[in-house]
Amino acid sequence: MEELQQPLPERLDLFTCIQCGKCTGGCPVSIKSPLNIRRVIRESTVREDLHIFFDRLEIWDCTTCSTCAIRCPRGLRPVDAIIGLREMMVEEGRIEKTIIDALDGAYKYGNPWGRAKNKRAEWAQDLEIPNALEMDPGQVLYFVCCAASYDPRVQVVAKSLVTVLRAAEVSFGILGNKEVCCGSEIRRMGEVGLFEMLMEENMKNFTKIEPKTIVTTSPHCMNALKNEYEGLDSEVLHYSQFVWRLIEEGKLSFNTEVPMKVTYHDPCYLGKQNGVFDEPRDVLKSIPGIELIEFGRCRENSLCCEGGGGRMWMEGTGIGKRLSEVRVEDALEMGVEAIITACPFCLLTLEDAVKTTGNEEKIKVIDLMELASMGLGVTPEVE
Amino acid sequence: MDIIVCIKRVPETAEADLVIDGSKKAIDTDGLVFSINEWDNYAVEAAIQLKEAEGGTITVISVGPEENNEVLRRALAMGADEALRLTDPAFEGSDAYAMAKILAAAIKDIPHDLILTGVQADDDGFGAVGVALAQMLELPYAALVTDIKKEGDTLTVHRELEGGLEEVDTLKLPALLTIQTGINEPRYVSIMGIRRVAKKEIGAKGVADLGLSEEEVGLKGSLSQIEELFFPPVGEGAEIIEGTMDEKAEALVKILKERGGIG
Repeated sequence: MEELQQPLPERLDLFTCIQCGKCTGGCPVSIKSPLNIRRVIRESTVREDLHIFFDRLEIWDCTTCSTCAIRCPRGLRPVDAIIGLREMMVEEGRIEKTIIDALDGAYKYGNPWGRAKNKRAEWAQDLEIPNALEMDPGQVLYFVCCAASYDPRVQVVAKSLVTVLRAAEVSFGILGNKEVCCGSEIRRMGEVGLFEMLMEENMKNFTKIEPKTIVTTSPHCMNALKNEYEGLDSEVLHYSQFVWRLIEEGKLSFNTEVPMKVTYHDPCYLGKQNGVFDEPRDVLKSIPGIELIEFGRCRENSLCCEGGGGRMWMEGTGIGKRLSEVRVEDALEMGVEAIITACPFCLLTLEDAVKTTGNEEKIKVIDLMELASMGLGVTPEVE
Repeated sequence: MDIIVCIKRVPETAEADLVIDGSKKAIDTDGLVFSINEWDNYAVEAAIQLKEAEGGTITVISVGPEENNEVLRRALAMGADEALRLTDPAFEGSDAYAMAKILAAAIKDIPHDLILTGVQADDDGFGAVGVALAQMLELPYAALVTDIKKEGDTLTVHRELEGGLEEVDTLKLPALLTIQTGINEPRYVSIMGIRRVAKKEIGAKGVADLGLSEEEVGLKGSLSQIEELFFPPVGEGAEIIEGTMDEKAEALVKILKERGGIG
């Protein structure tokens, strides 16, 4: 415990909390979960022994969307208190089996699903994408990461992005089987040591190839690489930012009409946490035929899909509707044909919600790159 | 209570495409991920829980090359106090019987009240080292243990038998138990935890240190040896359903209905 010796409240300055409750008020899971972030902060400052939190499974309900941190008038980061408590639980080994499996998978195989390392680049086997390790410095590196490498649904997003990059004649490479998980979710599940290990492994390759720009599939990876990787000099962009730049520079334009009424779901790690609200919308609007209708809760007020912060590996204690189901129902009420999003976790949770609410005939969930690919006349094949 | 836990480092094979090597007696382990044998992980956790309740020490022992320090160090991070590696080129080819002799030779010099092993190993699945070791050390033993209670110098253990039966036994300490998976929920071992024990010394002993001769271990000291390893030939009766996801699902439901799998 030496590394974590400084107690949580001191480390995160929690004594300056004024208990105003804006954090809990803004917390998307507080409506359905016993998790009360304001109370967690208070208790952590007055309790001698933070082990009282160890049996509270709701500590794992937090999706780390960070609304609390954005709204805190004292500039505190309540979400980091949750992650800090998880760190303590991880250090004592007292965590749920599904979380252990995800961490073990990332440790042994470089991905939290524990899929084989040598199958990481299988999605790209017919695409002849250059090996980034053999490219000259100063190029574009596409950092695919785990969901897009292994999940059949998200593989379609990666393939669509390749279609788009090729249409704009971008020369880029991937790390293939040498890539490992960015560690974003690992860190949020409280495994700091493993996050550092994964970061070091990826940094070894980044340092070798010195890419000018790293483009990520997921906002979670973008956030980790951009804000948490130490010593990374490359520009890190989410694909929505990179693709919008290509359009602005006149290197990419859409030639196929996609007549569709859609709404856009802001991923928390892209919007709230990194302020990228406009680029995905700009890409959307540049596809001919697209009519964009905004959610009532959009941009900074966007409702979290519950896929982040390790929740892909933990169902959560909350009762009632999943927030992704609320999102789908809202979209149906707005009369749109599809929800467009730009994050693998949002894509998966929203699509699940379409199925669990029995609305498969009425509404689709489409990734922004899939839509862009359609705008180029290439319909992505989703099995 | 002083406990010794015997642990093994094995390749993980669930996700791997296995290849039999040139000798036709082993698999090609290049590119495979190794970790602690699953059963042994439960045994280490069982030892830690007993130590937490009763006090005492835990020594973990593993037979094998330097790479085995990975699993020993992991056990130290988990809560074991000492680790010992038994290593010698002469150990190569040891079967369960020879392996038990190697372990017995090391254990007789270490004070202990209880010895734990996993029921079996993930790789060659003999399931014999634990019970052979008990015989050699002349200890009472119980195999397939799913619950342990200690009262004084007596252990009450549950054993998982076939047909869903559960047997309850009492044993006098010192004793040996082979631990079944599911007896507990092994705790997570963090990377920081492993780093914290990175400098802890792990002892190593060879055939001479253990007072054994080369004839007693390895192939020469074994009662059995592997003749050949092969994949069973593909039999008949399997049907691969082709088509799109929907067609496959439809065809599968039809078959299940026809053959009484579902109503």
